[in-house]
Amino acid sequence: MPKLLRLMLAAACTVALTPALAQKYVTWNDDGTVTLRTPEEYEGEFTIAQEMLGALFGPGEQPFAGEEVTILSLDSGPKGGISGPIYAFRPMWEELTGATLTIALTPISELYTKTFLDLRNGTGEYDAMIVGAFFYGDLINGNYILSVDDWMESGDFPQWNYNPMPASLRNIYTWDGVGYGVLNDADGQILYYRRDLLNDPEHQQAFEEQFGYRMPVPPNTLQQLKDIAQYFDGKPLGADGESISGAVLHLKVREQGLYHFITLATSFAMTPGPEMTRTNNVYWFDPVDMTPLINSPGHVAALEYLKELAQYGPAAQVSWSLGEAWDYFLRGNAVFNFSYGDVAPLAQDETRSSIKGKIGSAILPASDTYWDMAQQEFVTTEEVRKVGNVTGGSWHGVVSALGDAPDAAYSFLALMAMKPMSKWLATYGWNGVDPGYDYQFLEPVGEAKLEDYLQAGWDEQDVTEYLQAYHENFNAPTMLPYLRITGTQEYYDVLDSNLSAAMSGAKSAKEALDDTAKAWEQITDRLGREEQLQAYQAAIGWEG
Amino acid sequence: MWTGRIRLLFLMPAVFWVLLFTIFPLIYSLYASFHNVTNETVMERVQVPRLDAEGNPVLRPDGTPRMRTQVNRETVTDWEFVGLDNFRRIFNDPQVAEAVQVTAIFVVAAVAVEMLLGLLLAFLFNRELPGRPVLRMLMILPIFATPVAAGYLFFTIFYEEGGPLGWTGIPWLSHPDWALVSIIIVDIWQWTPFCFLVFLAALQGIPDDFLEAARLDTDSTLAIWREVILPQLVPVIVIVFLLRLAEAVKVFDVVASLTVGGPGNATQSLSYLSFRTGLRFFDVGYASAIAYTLLIAVMLVVTVLYKRIRSVYA
Repeated sequence: MPKLLRLMLAAACTVALTPALAQKYVTWNDDGTVTLRTPEEYEGEFTIAQEMLGALFGPGEQPFAGEEVTILSLDSGPKGGISGPIYAFRPMWEELTGATLTIALTPISELYTKTFLDLRNGTGEYDAMIVGAFFYGDLINGNYILSVDDWMESGDFPQWNYNPMPASLRNIYTWDGVGYGVLNDADGQILYYRRDLLNDPEHQQAFEEQFGYRMPVPPNTLQQLKDIAQYFDGKPLGADGESISGAVLHLKVREQGLYHFITLATSFAMTPGPEMTRTNNVYWFDPVDMTPLINSPGHVAALEYLKELAQYGPAAQVSWSLGEAWDYFLRGNAVFNFSYGDVAPLAQDETRSSIKGKIGSAILPASDTYWDMAQQEFVTTEEVRKVGNVTGGSWHGVVSALGDAPDAAYSFLALMAMKPMSKWLATYGWNGVDPGYDYQFLEPVGEAKLEDYLQAGWDEQDVTEYLQAYHENFNAPTMLPYLRITGTQEYYDVLDSNLSAAMSGAKSAKEALDDTAKAWEQITDRLGREEQLQAYQAAIGWEG
Repeated sequence: MWTGRIRLLFLMPAVFWVLLFTIFPLIYSLYASFHNVTNETVMERVQVPRLDAEGNPVLRPDGTPRMRTQVNRETVTDWEFVGLDNFRRIFNDPQVAEAVQVTAIFVVAAVAVEMLLGLLLAFLFNRELPGRPVLRMLMILPIFATPVAAGYLFFTIFYEEGGPLGWTGIPWLSHPDWALVSIIIVDIWQWTPFCFLVFLAALQGIPDDFLEAARLDTDSTLAIWREVILPQLVPVIVIVFLLRLAEAVKVFDVVASLTVGGPGNATQSLSYLSFRTGLRFFDVGYASAIAYTLLIAVMLVVTVLYKRIRSVYA
């Protein structure tokens, strides 16, 4: 074939194939629906009514053609937690809008720095950022992000709303009633346990002989949890017949290690009461004068408890971040782990987990002894109160006030927040987007059907317990107040390093928390006590 | 006349470089250290009509224009003069006290061992050994490793559950003291070859005549070392020591990648603390004050040592 003819043929093929290739991820159907597809490796396909995409979008419409959007996210790779979904939805969004999306990734430990370097210097490199809810104090204080309410109400953009969120999560996606965060992840810590081991009659009997009471499954109190951890610790029940640990924790400093303590201390340190008062249901600071409560006897007791519990885990966990502790648990080397919503979904992946079908989930047990702040004494009760938490980042997108393409950036975040997409993300656990919304929970408390999860490869009992536990956690009558005032990162860092010092044996529990309280006072004074007090009162809903 | 101008022209890039990358940051951080620096964005969000390619408004089906968001903003940086407050804070900050202790232990231990090992290895390699060129090349490889990469490499080596050194049962990274030892080991691994290389070059630079003459006077190897070799090496030892001292005080990369300063603050060096203060908490003034204090301390130590050593050996 002459060379010229071959070239012409190749050019014709290219012209003919280009539209087909360009339409790979979006199909506008004649019945008024549109089918959106992720790249094949993500296996996502969504058919929705066209009007659900908003008035800006339609066949032949590319409302943001030529615009360039950059989004900053924590880095877990193209198939990893939180950053993975951005890769999955990018092609369909680019095809829908005509815009291009650049994904800027940074390790989770650098995300705060990268975000605020850009915002504080006024660079405006990022149009949107995936942030943790604890960034909000600084984001709002600096006027760095845009409210999403107008976009939601305009009807121009992909449709989603805050209604499926429990109040606990809605609270951390909004500020003073104004929406800033676009629905994505729902973080909170629950208890994971080896259902097969705890329900084993032989272990039940042996435990009862050793401790004098029947092993409750799941444990109801933290004291029972510790007894069970002690009972199993060292028994040859781990992977390949190795010793199993009673519990495994992720305690590495500056790698989210502090969250174990924050969650655990609620039932020790928060004095129960019907409503929030100066002494009831408060946790971080005195809501009247910003005196730190972090070194209250209840908090100290919680840290001492955590140190005791850690004895029934691998010594190396002091230097472990989430991944290492999760892998240890998933390999079958520990009986308990309390952590985020990623653990049960990861347990379903049999390439890295040996506990599919064996992982039980429950709202975190509570201490049977708590500190009564009004009476200044410890109280032991049989009616333990389990406190819910939204501990963690609940990583989600916000739109930068400094970006050049805010509408386009919002449209991408909104696309990921649509109900079918959000439900799909929760169903498939690899992506780090954990469940927390009505349509992700199983009927009758939610809208999801068991089949949705079974099709995604879940074990029936695993997923039923898991979703039930998270529903209870996010809808608990009493929640751990979420700290998100200006300087939260600094307050957290001081607490984190002191907790790490305590867990590694360098300080006693009391020393560590006293040092924390002292440093917190300095931070508060430096940032302005009055301003901090006002922000704190607003953050916890204090009405005086 | 022309020669002078051409000289100036050729000097300009260097002058520009020094001004931009040395003098400006120095002055900027000095200025920052006397201030409390805060930023915020002043913004106004408005809706403006969306325009098509021809510049006409894009209309909704009901005929009203489609709008787009436009943000008019300005980043405002407030420099509040606080005098010496940031420097005063240093003396009341327990984190600084811990970091000074960590840095001092690290510098003393790491530099001493590196110098000693480097010297011993140089003596060893200054004689005929089978495969000496290959061994020498292998010896110096760690110098070429990026410190951050070395930190991550040693993270896997020190990994206590199944790492290559896990069998020792030593809590390399989970115990405060051992974590600091781990950092020191990494630094020794990386920088001993540098000391070794320089000492070896110095040893090989000693003229054979000196040694032969000395051997005519004494049979004692120790005496030859003490009276001939060591005096010849002293200037090099001093330079290596000062270089390593200045470098070790700045330890940052290995800490950031291996332990992130933990457990607790057990391995948090002053440089790492300064970095976190400035770029984690954006307390730029205080971070600058810490950095300046460190700079002044190192300059003092180096100057005093240098003068002392010169007075002894000059």
